[in-house]
Amino acid sequence: MTLTPEIPRVRLEPAAFPVNRGGLCAKGFTAADLLDHPDRLLTPLVRKEPGNRESPLREATWEEAYERIVTAIRGSQERFGPDSVGCFGGGGLTNEKAYALGKFARVALRSSAIDYNGRFCMSSAATAANRSLGIDRGLPFPLADVAEARTVMLVGANPADAMPPSMQYLDAGRANGAKHIVVDPRRTNTANGAHMHLAPLPGTDLALANGMLHIAIREGWIDEEYIAGRTEGFAAVRAATNAYWPERVERMTGVPEASLREAVRLLATEGPSMILTARGAEQHSNGTDTAQAWLNLALALGLVGRPFSGYGTITGQGNGQGGREHGQKADQLPGYRRLDDPAARAHVAAVWGIDPAELPQPGRSAYEMIDALGTDDGVRVLWILASNIAVSAPHTSHVVQKLKDLDFLVVSDIFPSETAQLADVILPTAQWAEEEGTMTNLEGRVIRRKMALPPPPMVKSDLTVLTELAGLLGRGEFFTDEPEAVFEELRRASAGGIADYAGISYQRIEAEQGVFWPCPDSGHPGTPRLFAESFPTASGRARFVRVDHRDPAELPDDLFPYVLTTGRNMQQYQSGTQTRRVRALNVALPEPRAEIHPDLARRHGIADGDMVELRSRRGAATLRARLSDGIRPDTVFAPFHWPGANTLTNPALDPHSKMPAFKVCAVALSRVPEGIAVSAVSPDEMVEI
Amino acid sequence: MTQRLVVIGNGMAGARTVEEILARNGDFTITMFGDEPYGNYNRIMLSNLLAGVEDEAGIYLNDLGWYADNGITLNAGVKIERIDRAAKTVIAADGTSTPYDKLIIATGSSSWTPPIKGIHNPKRGFHQGVFAFRTLDDTRGMIRYARDHERAVVIGGGLLGLEAARGLQTHLSDVTLLHAMGHLMERQLDEKAGHMLQASVENKLGIKVVTNAMTTEILGKDRVTGVKLADGTQIPCDVVVIAAGIRPNTRMVADSGLPVERGIVVDDQMRVRGERDIYSVGECAQHRGNLYGLVAPLWDQAKVLADHITGRDTEAAYTGSKLSTKLKVAGIDVASMGLIAPESDDDEVIIYNEPKKGVYKQLIIRDGVLAGAILVGDNSKAASLIQSFDRAQALPEERAELLFDIGGPAGEVSPEDMPDDAQVCNCNGVSKGAICGVVNAGCKTVSGVMDKTRAGKGCGTCKPLVQRIVEWAAGGEAEEDPAASWYVPGVPMPKPELMAAIRKYELKSVSAVFDKLVPGGEHDAKSKMGLASLLKMMWADQYVDERDARFINDRVHGNIQKDGTFSVVPQMKGGVTTPAELKRIAEVAEKYQVPMVKLTGGQRIDLLGIPKEQLPAIWADLDIPSGYAYAKSFRTVKTCVGSDFCRFGVGDSTALGIAIEERFQGLEGPGKMKLAVTGCPRNCAEAYVKDLGVVAIDGGKWEIYVGGAAGAHIRKGDLLATVDSPEAVIRLTGRFLQYYRENANWLERTYAWVPRVGIEKIRAVVVDDAEGIASQLDDAIEEAVQAYKDPWKERAVPATPGQFRTSLPLTVLPQVPVRS
Repeated sequence: MTLTPEIPRVRLEPAAFPVNRGGLCAKGFTAADLLDHPDRLLTPLVRKEPGNRESPLREATWEEAYERIVTAIRGSQERFGPDSVGCFGGGGLTNEKAYALGKFARVALRSSAIDYNGRFCMSSAATAANRSLGIDRGLPFPLADVAEARTVMLVGANPADAMPPSMQYLDAGRANGAKHIVVDPRRTNTANGAHMHLAPLPGTDLALANGMLHIAIREGWIDEEYIAGRTEGFAAVRAATNAYWPERVERMTGVPEASLREAVRLLATEGPSMILTARGAEQHSNGTDTAQAWLNLALALGLVGRPFSGYGTITGQGNGQGGREHGQKADQLPGYRRLDDPAARAHVAAVWGIDPAELPQPGRSAYEMIDALGTDDGVRVLWILASNIAVSAPHTSHVVQKLKDLDFLVVSDIFPSETAQLADVILPTAQWAEEEGTMTNLEGRVIRRKMALPPPPMVKSDLTVLTELAGLLGRGEFFTDEPEAVFEELRRASAGGIADYAGISYQRIEAEQGVFWPCPDSGHPGTPRLFAESFPTASGRARFVRVDHRDPAELPDDLFPYVLTTGRNMQQYQSGTQTRRVRALNVALPEPRAEIHPDLARRHGIADGDMVELRSRRGAATLRARLSDGIRPDTVFAPFHWPGANTLTNPALDPHSKMPAFKVCAVALSRVPEGIAVSAVSPDEMVEI
Repeated sequence: MTQRLVVIGNGMAGARTVEEILARNGDFTITMFGDEPYGNYNRIMLSNLLAGVEDEAGIYLNDLGWYADNGITLNAGVKIERIDRAAKTVIAADGTSTPYDKLIIATGSSSWTPPIKGIHNPKRGFHQGVFAFRTLDDTRGMIRYARDHERAVVIGGGLLGLEAARGLQTHLSDVTLLHAMGHLMERQLDEKAGHMLQASVENKLGIKVVTNAMTTEILGKDRVTGVKLADGTQIPCDVVVIAAGIRPNTRMVADSGLPVERGIVVDDQMRVRGERDIYSVGECAQHRGNLYGLVAPLWDQAKVLADHITGRDTEAAYTGSKLSTKLKVAGIDVASMGLIAPESDDDEVIIYNEPKKGVYKQLIIRDGVLAGAILVGDNSKAASLIQSFDRAQALPEERAELLFDIGGPAGEVSPEDMPDDAQVCNCNGVSKGAICGVVNAGCKTVSGVMDKTRAGKGCGTCKPLVQRIVEWAAGGEAEEDPAASWYVPGVPMPKPELMAAIRKYELKSVSAVFDKLVPGGEHDAKSKMGLASLLKMMWADQYVDERDARFINDRVHGNIQKDGTFSVVPQMKGGVTTPAELKRIAEVAEKYQVPMVKLTGGQRIDLLGIPKEQLPAIWADLDIPSGYAYAKSFRTVKTCVGSDFCRFGVGDSTALGIAIEERFQGLEGPGKMKLAVTGCPRNCAEAYVKDLGVVAIDGGKWEIYVGGAAGAHIRKGDLLATVDSPEAVIRLTGRFLQYYRENANWLERTYAWVPRVGIEKIRAVVVDDAEGIASQLDDAIEEAVQAYKDPWKERAVPATPGQFRTSLPLTVLPQVPVRS
């Protein structure tokens, strides 16, 4: 898009960039409303009584805020060691900021405690792709390729609501006769326009994928030549799929045998074909294995690396891809290097000018870190940036309690989010149109974010805050707040890594409308399509990994007889910190609605628009019912953009990716009398600042 | 501490239990014993193997490598003879003993052999040609033997027997199925369903079925040559397959002193009754009095056992399984679950029976949840019914929805079915109603609607839906986009450009416009009337009339009726008439035997049913000017009684109406113009819903409303201005009408044009002269008024020789173009 400064605000127009081709969703169209929103944090805020988070917040100078933060960090590290201070980042940070934050934790704080909200997003697919393909790039091809595929399977993906501009490629494919198969327990807007809609019981996607592979093997639809030439480990997967015969899979998933067969027939025989997963498949306590099951199917059908074919995961967070590549993760160094790899440590330490031995070892994953907050060996002083975990993490009542257990909490945000309101110090930060930097989209295309107007006078970019705090902690010489200088350093740090940015510069990004990584040198054209020749694994082959269905961590029972699955609405984004403040979006969707099948509603005497209470073993939420026959009658859907849904969700973690089981937990449902308010708090009702 | 776990049985239950234990990271050294010399294969796939649907590689759940990979000692083909509970060892047939800390008995079951004479051969087990259908070896043997023979008999008409019969057909041509009971699959189907299935098996598959068939003897000395039934019937055959049921393998267990009734008695943790360290799982286990012979319950049991034995969840309890089965026979759909017959009067039974198609469906509903279902001949709802049954889902009020896909998931939303407030474009919050409003206001192109509403301008996903809604609202096809902005379809120019070109080249006739402005010069018939109207408006009396540029109504100055006759509406300004005028009309009506005389909505008198050739004569006899009840032109001014007589009237509406009609009579335009003047806000003349309506209000003031309609489309007019005098009304009326004439598209009525342009804009131009063109408009309308000629005067000198000659019979009427 193009932004032109105007008094008093900016004018926003969609730009015909090659990815969105001029399309913007409601959130994009209204994004400028955030720039001068009355809720905007314009100065640092501190508690009136230091140490008492019940006391009111008051405006403060940066000096005072820094002084309190540095005192807290120093005190904690002296008493409890370096790991007692941690950072929690977000997928909305630019590459420069994500990189600098990872470096800040390890170099300025010398702490292993850093992770970010992407752990709650696409970590399962990332883990599966890393172990199977040797690389985690959301899509191994440009988004535009989707329009060229003849068959596209979308598993737990609802781009029509969650990523509308991408729908133009799906729509173009459909217009040309492509067949789309949508797997979702709800008949979403994406499913509505698809050739087939499969509605499995939440938590059974893995069985569905294995069942489809079973049929493909039985029918001779697998690509033996590809399997022999480009992969390894198929025998074990083949043996595993023997236990997923169609009748069994039908009973487990609820997807009719005939549909299973037709879906895999289309993928196998009406190519080029793609399998795309998203959070619906991935946010489970077996999310990594589920993503793997789809990858296995894609590999067995010989899709990966072929033109207009393959496997991908759709990620939507502003910098969901770049944010997970450059060291914001507990176990990671820039360039998608592993923190426990001595060679990687040596390389990055050399770029940073420190002794590799100084680098901490891998720390705890996001929810594990949260779960240990305030404990003796956990984090006691936490800095949260660009994340609202009091709404977005699972089992939020526990999360809020853990945040309260901290000795000191710092939150950087543009608005007083639910998380920020628990903080000792809130730091106002620059937002999207007020800063320079780069982001990496789901295609692995590194793109520029440009400053259209300066931030308000007392507001600082996170990069500046990181640099100034590092200075106050005596490590200032390692940091700079000049975005391009940070990017230049990132290039060197990522050089030779999996996500290699070495050949990418601001000038090239401008000139080429983005550059696809890996791009190892300035003469390299970038890599729009991966895997054509080989896979970046030790053997150069893609690895099959045997995966088996495991029941979700929590199954419905007599007390909590239904499945709750959470997800997104078109008008809202993430925890709603931004979008719940945009008038146009709130007019369109003012409150969360629990989607309930009319048959289930009738059982409980619920009419459309009634208030209902959802209860799980962890909490309760009251929200308004929306009856829809597009959802399974044993499943309730609730959006997570408001406080509420995540009071219910189960923090059981995937053993590989540490992804919480957002998509399945057991709930009870009841109608509550009119007059009880939505338990979601709207920004207006929030604590006075 | 690592414990020694011994598992007797390496079938689907035993091996699965071990898998579940491994998945829970159970700390055991595991030793397994299996009768068969293989890894664990999927027994229920044997019928697919027999039928050639699967190959052997496709049925192994755990090949031998799996045991090695997981550190399991597998003793395949080693039979356990005894369990020594005191010593905690198991003793194998070869005399070896293996100690255990925990023992799992998963001995499964065996094929049951009915006591039939000649079934066994003393030397080699079964008689040659007789096969049980239980193991991989059975299946291999059966395939080998069947290949070389012609005729087979299957004893047992349950699930397995049917699958065996179908599988055998792959290898030989003649298969007979013998069933001892009255109907097939009696454990899963009721009688009606069983008979329906039998008919399908016989007709579709060509398998002969004999029910109530007690087999008494296997015939043949060296090998099977036939079977004999209790009634004496003999059926010649080469192969006999026994599929008469299974019996749990419990003898060794009972002999070892463990509690065995029908099966090995276990508690809810799958522990053998009274034992701390011995569990049993699978077909050999008897739980709460039930034996299970299907895989799903076995695997449910395996999970509970694994939870308990590993300490993962010591509270885990198996409470029984819901049973459902599907027949794996291609082309024969059978599914069954739960109850097959109602058990109490409160059970709700829903039956659908269509014997001709071989379709039978029965549901049993208890306490609002599905307690049982039988499907024969149509499995399309099997998946959803099994889910509903397994998960006690809430059921639809319309029970039929359980049996059939009624409507099914809507592929495309039909615009008709969408409520007006349904959001179409989420990006910009545009509802269906908003889109329809724009369409109804005259914008019928997708791009036009998108421009006006911003619908589809975001992600663009809703564009197809916007298109469908526009098409639907437009009553058919949306208009072509490029032409959308053109004044008429045949000249590729929007109105302002067209007018500029007409002025520039001084084009004064329709054909001149075509020749000059249309590439190729094609004369588009549909565009002629619009152009004629425009030219007449622009050039007034300089306009060169070409009669073929007119619609028949305009050519003969009457409104054509459905039988090809015309109506004659004489002018009656303001709806005010005189006795003399009425008398004249009456006389004309009598003289020409006018079939119908009718008062119109516009306060006039309509003579209907006039043949075309009589028109000039009638006009002559009437000697009243045309009322213009036909053209795209100024029609009439409807008035109320006004202030002269009415007790409420505040302004002389009648006089003003007459004055307006007098001035603007016959004025042509892009669409018809119906006006009204009413003497008070009671609105007796319906001035609020006219193209231009004038309402007298207190204080001698007049309100002017424009853009109203009360036809197919209803719209209240927008207030243009409030003025002080009738003169001001007439001046603004003229200015408004001229502005409309110059700017509206052909056939665009004011009710579409006013909202399109916006009343603010119109007011600015017409009332406030914001663009400084008011005097131009006034001059133009004055010129048009001066150019007025009564068209009925043409009677004396017909404009064309055949103008009023009969053209009857008119069979196909020209469609009057309308813009709704």
